[in-house]
Amino acid sequence: MTLVVLQGTPPAASTTGIAVERAVAERLHLAVGDTVRLGATPDSLRRLAVVSAIYEPRPDPAEISRRSSRVRLHLPDLAVLLGAPDRVDRFGIGLVPGVSADSGVTVLNRSAFGFRAHPSAVIASESSQTFKVVSRFHRAIAVISIVASAVFLLCIMLLKVEERRMDAAVMRFVGVRRRTIFGALVLEAALIAILGSVLGAALAFLAGSATNAYYRRFFDTELVFSLITPRILWFSLALSLVLGIAAGAAAAWRLVRIRPMVLWGRA
Amino acid sequence: MTGLVWGLKSLGRHPLRTALSLAGIAVASAMLLDMVMLSGGIEKSFSELLLARGYQIRITPKGTLPFDTEGSIPRTSEVVRTIRAEPGVEAAGAVLGTAVYGRTRDSLVTLFGYGIQPEAQGIYQVTAGADLAPGDTLGILLSETAAGLLHTSIGDTVTLAGRLDPQIASASVDRRLVVRGLVRWIYDHRGQPSVGTVLPVMQRLGRDAAADPGSLLLVKAADDRAVDNLAERLRERFPALEVNSVAELVVQAKRRLVYFTQLAYVLGGMSLIVAVLLVATLLTITVNERLGEIATLRAIGVSRGTVVRQVLAEGVALTVLGSAGGILLGLATAEYLDAILTSFPGLPATFSFFVPRADTLSLAALVLLLTGSLAGIYPAWLASRAPIAATLRAEAT
Amino acid sequence: MTRSPMLVARDLRKDYPMNGEVVHALRGASLTVEPGEFVAIVGPSGSGKSTLLQIVGGIDPPSGGSVELLGTRLETLNDRALTHLRLTRLGFVFQRFHLLPVLTARENVELPMAEAGLRGARRRERARQLLEYVGLGHREGHRATQLSGGEMQRVAIARALANRPAILLADEPTGELDAATGREILELFRRLNRDGTTLLVVTHDERLAAQAGRVVHMLDGRIAAETTAP
Repeated sequence: MTLVVLQGTPPAASTTGIAVERAVAERLHLAVGDTVRLGATPDSLRRLAVVSAIYEPRPDPAEISRRSSRVRLHLPDLAVLLGAPDRVDRFGIGLVPGVSADSGVTVLNRSAFGFRAHPSAVIASESSQTFKVVSRFHRAIAVISIVASAVFLLCIMLLKVEERRMDAAVMRFVGVRRRTIFGALVLEAALIAILGSVLGAALAFLAGSATNAYYRRFFDTELVFSLITPRILWFSLALSLVLGIAAGAAAAWRLVRIRPMVLWGRA
Repeated sequence: MTGLVWGLKSLGRHPLRTALSLAGIAVASAMLLDMVMLSGGIEKSFSELLLARGYQIRITPKGTLPFDTEGSIPRTSEVVRTIRAEPGVEAAGAVLGTAVYGRTRDSLVTLFGYGIQPEAQGIYQVTAGADLAPGDTLGILLSETAAGLLHTSIGDTVTLAGRLDPQIASASVDRRLVVRGLVRWIYDHRGQPSVGTVLPVMQRLGRDAAADPGSLLLVKAADDRAVDNLAERLRERFPALEVNSVAELVVQAKRRLVYFTQLAYVLGGMSLIVAVLLVATLLTITVNERLGEIATLRAIGVSRGTVVRQVLAEGVALTVLGSAGGILLGLATAEYLDAILTSFPGLPATFSFFVPRADTLSLAALVLLLTGSLAGIYPAWLASRAPIAATLRAEAT
Repeated sequence: MTRSPMLVARDLRKDYPMNGEVVHALRGASLTVEPGEFVAIVGPSGSGKSTLLQIVGGIDPPSGGSVELLGTRLETLNDRALTHLRLTRLGFVFQRFHLLPVLTARENVELPMAEAGLRGARRRERARQLLEYVGLGHREGHRATQLSGGEMQRVAIARALANRPAILLADEPTGELDAATGREILELFRRLNRDGTTLLVVTHDERLAAQAGRVVHMLDGRIAAETTAP
């Protein structure tokens, strides 16, 4: 884990020093050099400690909504504080080059008692389950939005093209071919789709910026909440273009198949 | 032949156009319904969860929420006795949460252990067998998952181990217990292997029985209306503990899940806007197409009011019909979206994000109806202002 | 005892903008219609025939002059009153019929009666009677789109008669019809006039004009001549 010290120095092993999160320090009006009392329970605040450092934790999406308050101590100091001198919750193992995590885990678990070894990648995957769920949710919302957009597009294109019934009838009367009319309508749909896509992308950038600004302030974090990558941008543009043209083509196809006299309203 | 009937019949003029519009409105109203359910669902579901057994107040270590940390309340029994003596308290009980291990034939399985006071518990419901009796130090309750892991059933004996020493690969405490019953632990996530014994047994299996630790105290007020007052008194009585009423816990839960509430409002608002735009666009184009017809009707003496009513009726009819389909679609998509969100790790299995409520559905329906009416205002105004003579002249050329 | 004229139009003028220019559709036309008359207005395209009809029918306000219809000066009426007048005292028939395609023939005829507040059963019965009168009793349940041109125009005439108008105004009623169908409509108008309905008809159709008791000839926004049938 990376620790960024904003003020003072990290606690040295020989003193009971603690490092305090920046948000906690601001809330409790703590500064480097202040003395605090620590205890395992509110009625056992017997241990004195000095604030040696104030740090900014690396933004962790799993933690921002919990708004926990954290401090860091040297392990022996915490163990003494909790009255559990020889106990930890977890520890990390670095393997020498050439030894795979899976084989290391297998060896450790063979003789494990009261603990279990896991590859770090598995832990990372498990702890990211929350975000996978959120991603799935976002994807589901996106799919619903795309389906809704497709229906709206088809409806609007149909309305737009039907407004041109008389024009289409007159063109057919004077000998213009179906494919020419079809092409003209699809071209119009494509232009609308392009303009709409670009406008939509611009709106998305604005909305994303607003989202990031708002949630960064709300959660007091540097995390990025909304990120529009080139891949996402091109995918969105391509999809909206395809949907727009497809909707226009469907409506145009329907129009050119109707007999001119029917379009004219005389049959 | 009123404007209303004329408006309704006009929907059949262009069947494909009407069908597409209805589909669009259905999708928009489904999304709106889902977002309305989401915005209120978290609160309702969480409240129901917390009040499942009627305990309106939770007491936890200072600065924590129930089972949020490994912090514990010391001298739990004494605290519970004091609370039970407090006026207005109908019942109070302690719960300890800790890791314990179940012995199977060839290994140890990790379990979540609840130490409970059966005479005042609010965290499980018996699904088979019997409950623990107060003071039953030989009995144990299991979740279905735990029973499966331990390959055991009601009446069997299980062995729990605690205070493991990895260095010498032994457990300091072993306890043989008889399975009294299978229970559904209200706050367990799906598949959580949980077991429950009376509090002193679980304290011994845990780390520091001498401190008489507890993770959570449940308090039931005799009068629902006096909950806030009782919580305040307990707060003053126990300043070193965190006292929260269910309402306060719901607020905290909402704060943690604020993203979903805000997303619900944003998406719900956008759905409404889209529905309004769709209805307004459709009606505007329809009115423009029928200006000649409208001018003729005005010429023969049909009033502006009738024309306006016809257009508004068409908009309302579109919205009502589309929304009817939207409600069905919304309930289906809500189930799908809920299945996604309730797969959050660690979420109680009974928790739901999308909760259908009569008031929710009514609110969504009312908002949609208003929307449909508003959407028709501009095209209705256009229709009523159509210049009769100029329009008839334009039609003739 | 002499009866008052149904309609007195004095020195009517109408100007309206079109494509950035001002069109002088009427340049001082005066007209009187007596009860029971059948008056035809004829003239070349752009002579102001339809404009005159729309003004005397209260659809279009004149730029100058006055109209007295059934003893009421139209310029004293607001839009609501004019609408009510058109609903209850006038009947309109247009060249393009303008029936509501989503309604049946009977429902189209019922529309002005419903607007005038006539109750359902009486309204339906009168609609049937009117459709019988115009020879379409057997088509009352058909939607307008299922009717021929001549049938649609007859339904439009029945609709115009719904509230027992004092005057029936028709603008090119046979303009969209073939010769045979036109003759049917012509016969219907004759019958209407025989039965006492006052008619004011704008037409290009010489046969229709020939049936009128008086023909008003218009040219360049003015009444150039009037001829009376022998």
